[in-house]
Amino acid sequence: MTTKETLGIRSFRVLTGAVLITWLILPLVPLAIWSFAKGWFYPDLLPRNWSLRAWEYAMSDTSGVLASLWLTIWISLVATFLSVLVGVPAGRALGMYKFRGKEIVELLILAPTIVPGIAVVLGIHSIFISLGLTNSVEGVILVHLIPTLPYMVLVMSGIFANYDPAFEAQARSLGASPLKTFWYVTLPAIRPGIIVGGLFAFLVSWSQYILTLLIGGGRVETLPLLLFNFATSGRNDITGAIGMIYILPGIIILLLTAKHLSGRSGAVGGFGQI
Amino acid sequence: MTQNLKAALLATGLMMTPVAGVADTADGAALNAMNWDQVVDLAKGGEVNWFLWGGSDNINQYVTEFVGGILKDKYDITLNRVGLSDTVEAVNIVLGEKEAGVLDSGSVDMIWINGENFRTMKQGDLAYCGYTDILPNNALVDWNNPAIANDFGVPVEGCEVPWSKSQFAFAYDTARTENPPRSIPELIDWVKANPGKFTYPAPPDFNGSVFVRHVFYHAAGGVENLLGDFDQARFDEVSAKTWAILNNLEPYLWREGKTYPASISAMEQLYANSEVDLTFNYEPAGVGLNIENGVFPPTTQGYGLTDGTIGNTNYTIIPFNSPNKAAALVLQNVLLSGEAQHQKALPTVWGAAPAIEVSRTSDDVQAKFAKIVKHPNVVPAEELAKAALPELQASWISAIEKGWLANVGQ
Repeated sequence: MTTKETLGIRSFRVLTGAVLITWLILPLVPLAIWSFAKGWFYPDLLPRNWSLRAWEYAMSDTSGVLASLWLTIWISLVATFLSVLVGVPAGRALGMYKFRGKEIVELLILAPTIVPGIAVVLGIHSIFISLGLTNSVEGVILVHLIPTLPYMVLVMSGIFANYDPAFEAQARSLGASPLKTFWYVTLPAIRPGIIVGGLFAFLVSWSQYILTLLIGGGRVETLPLLLFNFATSGRNDITGAIGMIYILPGIIILLLTAKHLSGRSGAVGGFGQI
Repeated sequence: MTQNLKAALLATGLMMTPVAGVADTADGAALNAMNWDQVVDLAKGGEVNWFLWGGSDNINQYVTEFVGGILKDKYDITLNRVGLSDTVEAVNIVLGEKEAGVLDSGSVDMIWINGENFRTMKQGDLAYCGYTDILPNNALVDWNNPAIANDFGVPVEGCEVPWSKSQFAFAYDTARTENPPRSIPELIDWVKANPGKFTYPAPPDFNGSVFVRHVFYHAAGGVENLLGDFDQARFDEVSAKTWAILNNLEPYLWREGKTYPASISAMEQLYANSEVDLTFNYEPAGVGLNIENGVFPPTTQGYGLTDGTIGNTNYTIIPFNSPNKAAALVLQNVLLSGEAQHQKALPTVWGAAPAIEVSRTSDDVQAKFAKIVKHPNVVPAEELAKAALPELQASWISAIEKGWLANVGQ
């Protein structure tokens, strides 16, 4: 009986997995074909001619795609790290404690996800100019925290809402230092949240366009900036090539963290290594 | 206390040192008083940040490799090409910097620009002006030509330098369409006879807007009455006719005119995939590049209209707060040179019509221009020029765009 149930659940899981993969992979197929196409018109099933030109351009120094790839990875990684640094204590405060003005703090943290970025970006720009933070990678990383933090804090406050601080008290009573307590007790318990929130933060930072353009003053050329140039000009071949490069880090991170996102890893126990 | 004083003195000393040693390439007025050799000396070893539309690999390669190569080899200047999806993004950066009080250390050294964006820059005092005479290659520019001296009706007055000329042209697929309409009245009949096979990008898209102006000129019975300052009474009369024509046409457009493509590239995709049979562009050379890049079917042919098409000039502008004005001036001078304009005119590079008078260049350059073999599918600039229509002043254009949104695109 139990084996039958497990089998049913397993086949359901395989099925949903297959559907998900199809949804994720299928839209990428035309993108990949486009990147090698020269002239692909409806109703042709396949391009009339094949060409490596889009890839040659994407890999050339002129396009700046590779330099931009490393820069974008660096910016998103640092923005994610800072988001974790701020988001974990903030999430703990919001998830575990009641205090005056908590609703206002929550609203302020969520505000960047509610207010459209385009509406506030000019105001942010003038503030960043007066602080001398424009045209630099540091400024861009800092401004990316505005859209990444809400996701991080939201995920972490959810984790801490179900977190029992008594574990920490026990560890302390058994003689662990605060650092040890955090490392061996708190961190394992909240790690799934850090991974999920960090993934969100990375992807949100990864896809920023208008904030990067204005605060970076065009000097900080991340991949979305290069991609939008060609996506808006109808060059599907080069958009395809840059697009393939653009989605790569997202896929790699998704594969690395997949088991923490699935139902099998709960918020408690069974923490695999990344 | 003495410690604080020492620290303060040290800080002041540190702050003053660099100012004394470095010549200021941000000071436009000082540059305007220099001769060309002094400007070049000042620019050497510097950098220039040029913001321009980045959606064409051909243009990007021309700018980074050809122009950037000349700047590096001859002047030791590093060209940093910053690709934009829309020129207004660069204008907004300069505007934001001005509002924040950044007067001599802006991030934009040069923008590829014209029309509405130039008007914004000029009216907002965002442009560095009065330098054209110090550029040696300025002699190749015919400033007596009103189409050069005015950018969409706004007098240039030394605030920008021409780069290329272009003129609106249609294109069709010879494999699909036998006789494309060759004037606006013919087009109106053709659209009604071929429902669903024509559309135009919704203004204020640059190309959609200029298409609507062709209909506007037709409704006015000619452009003569529309030149000069904005005239509300005349606008009301002509625009009423224009909206009537376009609204009559709407049911025969692609998807019954319930929706319009948002951009010219969206319309070009519709054309490439046979959803519509005609396309157009303010840059006629685009047909050649689009065929070579596989965006258009190779049977695409560009053509002009017998009742004329609108032409314009595009320019490069230096923002008032550019910190690298000397290098930007050297860049502009290189762009105006016969060699750079010739390279840009090659159909394999770009195919853009020169903004300089080729007859004023050296014999060598003239001979090279004469040898250019035009792309067979691109309508020659000389042929288009036989029926050229002027652009309206920017105030007319924005009124037409707003009127279209309120009366046709609603």
